[in-house]
Amino acid sequence: MSLVDDSPVSSSSSDDFATFLDGELDSTSDTQPEEEEEEEKEKNDDDDDDDDYDWDQDDHETYKSLIDRTKRRKMSYATEEPNGSTSHIEKTDITETSVKMSYATEEPNGSTSHTEKTEITEASVKKVGCTHPGFIGGMCLKCGEKRDTQSGVAFKYIHKDLTLSDDEVARLRDRDLKNLLRHRKLYLVLDLDHTLLNSTRFSDVTQEEGYLMNPDDPMQDKLKGSLFKLPFMHMVTKLRPFVHDFLKEASNLFEMYIYTMGERSYALEMANLLDPGMVYFNSKVIAQGDCTTRHQKGLDVVLGQESAVLILDDTESVWSKHKDNLISMERYHFFASSCKQFGYKAKSLSELRSDESDVDGALATVLKVLKRVHSMFYDPELGENFAGRDARQMLSAVRGEVLKGCKVVFTRVFPTKFPAEHHHLWMLAERLGATCSTEVDPSVTHVISTDAGTEKSRWAVQEKKFLVEPRWLEAANFLWHRQPEEMFPVAVKEVKDKH
Amino acid sequence: MFFHIVLERNMQLHPRHFGRELREKLVSKLMKDVEGTCSGRHGFVVAITGIEDIGKGIIRDGTGFVTFPVKYLCVVFRPFKGEILEATVTMVNKMGFFAEAGPVQIFVSNHVKIQKDSEVRLKIIGTRVNATEIFCIGTIKDDFLGVISDPAGS
Ligand SMILES: [Zn+2]
Repeated sequence: MSLVDDSPVSSSSSDDFATFLDGELDSTSDTQPEEEEEEEKEKNDDDDDDDDYDWDQDDHETYKSLIDRTKRRKMSYATEEPNGSTSHIEKTDITETSVKMSYATEEPNGSTSHTEKTEITEASVKKVGCTHPGFIGGMCLKCGEKRDTQSGVAFKYIHKDLTLSDDEVARLRDRDLKNLLRHRKLYLVLDLDHTLLNSTRFSDVTQEEGYLMNPDDPMQDKLKGSLFKLPFMHMVTKLRPFVHDFLKEASNLFEMYIYTMGERSYALEMANLLDPGMVYFNSKVIAQGDCTTRHQKGLDVVLGQESAVLILDDTESVWSKHKDNLISMERYHFFASSCKQFGYKAKSLSELRSDESDVDGALATVLKVLKRVHSMFYDPELGENFAGRDARQMLSAVRGEVLKGCKVVFTRVFPTKFPAEHHHLWMLAERLGATCSTEVDPSVTHVISTDAGTEKSRWAVQEKKFLVEPRWLEAANFLWHRQPEEMFPVAVKEVKDKH
Repeated sequence: MFFHIVLERNMQLHPRHFGRELREKLVSKLMKDVEGTCSGRHGFVVAITGIEDIGKGIIRDGTGFVTFPVKYLCVVFRPFKGEILEATVTMVNKMGFFAEAGPVQIFVSNHVKIQKDSEVRLKIIGTRVNATEIFCIGTIKDDFLGVISDPAGS
C-alpha cells in the first residue's frame, strides 16, 4: 500500500514531477521508431524558442526545455502551473537529473556513444517485429511494448499478471519436451489433499485426536517431520507416509508440478512442507485460481506436452479431459474429519494412533508404477526417435497387465437396465486388462457379485470359479496387482432385501 | 535512476505530541510513513534527506488531531526505459527469469541457462509503475549485458 498516495492532499510539486516522468515514459514506450525520429527533428527545430515553460506542452518539449535550462546553468526555477500551484525542484539536482535523463531518453544533445548504440539496437529489434509471445502486467515480455488488453492463456502461478499466446505455449512445450527428453525425464502432476497429505481444521480435531495437539504426548516423536501445526491457517497437516522418499525418487525421473483445487496460499504452504528447499516445485504450484475451467483441472496451464505427463490424483472427475494421463490414488484419510467428509463410519487412522504403511503404502506402490512407465518410455530398444512416443499408452499397457487373462461376469452390481459396458466397474475391469462378459461360459474366471445368492454367483461356486465382491477390482486398481480372491468373499444377502 | 525531489504530505499528529519535540515527532513519523514505500507517480522513496517547510497546522474537528502540510526533500528511485541496471536473479522459469533491483521487479525473457541469485546487468525496455509496485521488462541481449557474477562466485 502506498502511503504517499494516501496523503489527503496531493502535492503540487509531486504532480509536476509525475507529469514529467509519465510523459517521459510514454514518449519512449508507445511510439514507433519512425515517429520518434520525426519528433526528434521537431525538437531540434524547437531549440530556439523556450522561455515559456509550459507543462502542458508536448512531453518531449517539456523535457527538452528542461535540458536547455540546465545547460544555460539556470540555478533554480519555480514555474506557475495552469492550476496555480508551484513546482519546486532543487537547483543542483535538476542538473544531475537532466544529465542522466538525457541518457535514458536518448536525447541527441546529451547522448554518449553507448546511448546511440542502444538506440540502434532497439530500433532494429522493433523493425524485425516482435511476435509478442506473452504479456506481463500489460507489457510484452520480450519487447516491452504496452498493451491494454491481454489475450492468451493466463499463467498466474508463474506471475500474477502473466499471459502467454497459444503459439508461445506450444513453442515452450515443444522446447521443454526436447529438454526433458535429453534429461530422460517425464512430467508428473501431483494433487495435494488425500494424495500427498491430509489436512484438517483445528476446530474439527476430535477428542480422540487431541493427542496430536499435545506437544508432550509420546506419539509426537513418531509424528515428527510428518505432522505440522499451522496456527496462522488454523490447520493441522499430516503428510502421507513415504512422501519424502517418493518425491526424492520421483524427482530423478520426473519434472514435478503440484496441482490442487485448494487456494493458492494453502498450496504454497503445503509445497513448503513437502519441499522446504524449493527444489521440486519452484514456480510449479498450480492452484484453484489458475484453472481455466471451473471445477476442472486441465493440462492447458502445465507447460508440458500431454503425451509426456502422468497425473496422480484421488479425484478422477476433475480430470475429465485427461483420463488417460491419470493414475487414481486411494484416498489418504488420516484425520477423523476427512473420514467423515467422505462418509466413512470407521475410526480414522489418527484416532487409532495408526498410519498407512511406509514401505508398501499407496505412494510406494505408485512409485513402482511410475518407474515402470518411465523405463518403458526410455526403453533403449525404442531408440532415440521420440516422435509419437506416448507415456499414456505405456501407462495403459502397465495397467492392462494387472488383470490380464481374467474374464469377469458381473451379477447384481449394476442397476437393472443400466448399459453394462458403460458402468465404471466394467470399464475399470477392461482398463485393468480383464475381458468382460454379460453371460457365463466355461472361459469365465471370475464372477463379481454383491450377493452370493444370485444364479450367477451360485454358478461360480458350482463351477469352482472365483466369486469376489466389487472391491476386488478397486483394490487391484489401487494396488496395481491382482489381489488374493479369498480376501474379497461375497456374502449372501439377508432375506430382508427380498421384502 | 535516482531523483532528489520535493514532495508534500499532510501529516496528522496526535495532540499528545504537541510541545518542544513537535518537529522531531513530525519528522520521525514522516520517515516511518514514507521511506520504503512505493508511489506510483514517483517511484520508490529511498530516503528523506531534509525538510523544506512545515506549514500551519489545522485542527481537525472532533478529534483534536492536527494536520500539518510538510514539504520534504527525498531521494526516489524510478526505472526508465533504456536504463541499464544491475539486478539479482530471484526466480528462473521456462520463459526467462525475474530479477530485483532494490524495490523494482524485472522480468527478462531469456533462454540461456541462468542461475538464481546471479547478478545480471540488464537494460530496461518497458516499465509499468502503479500505486503499489514498479514492474519492468528487461533484456540482456546487448553488448556488455548479461551475467556479472554467479551465486557461487566463480
Ligand atoms: Zn513484443
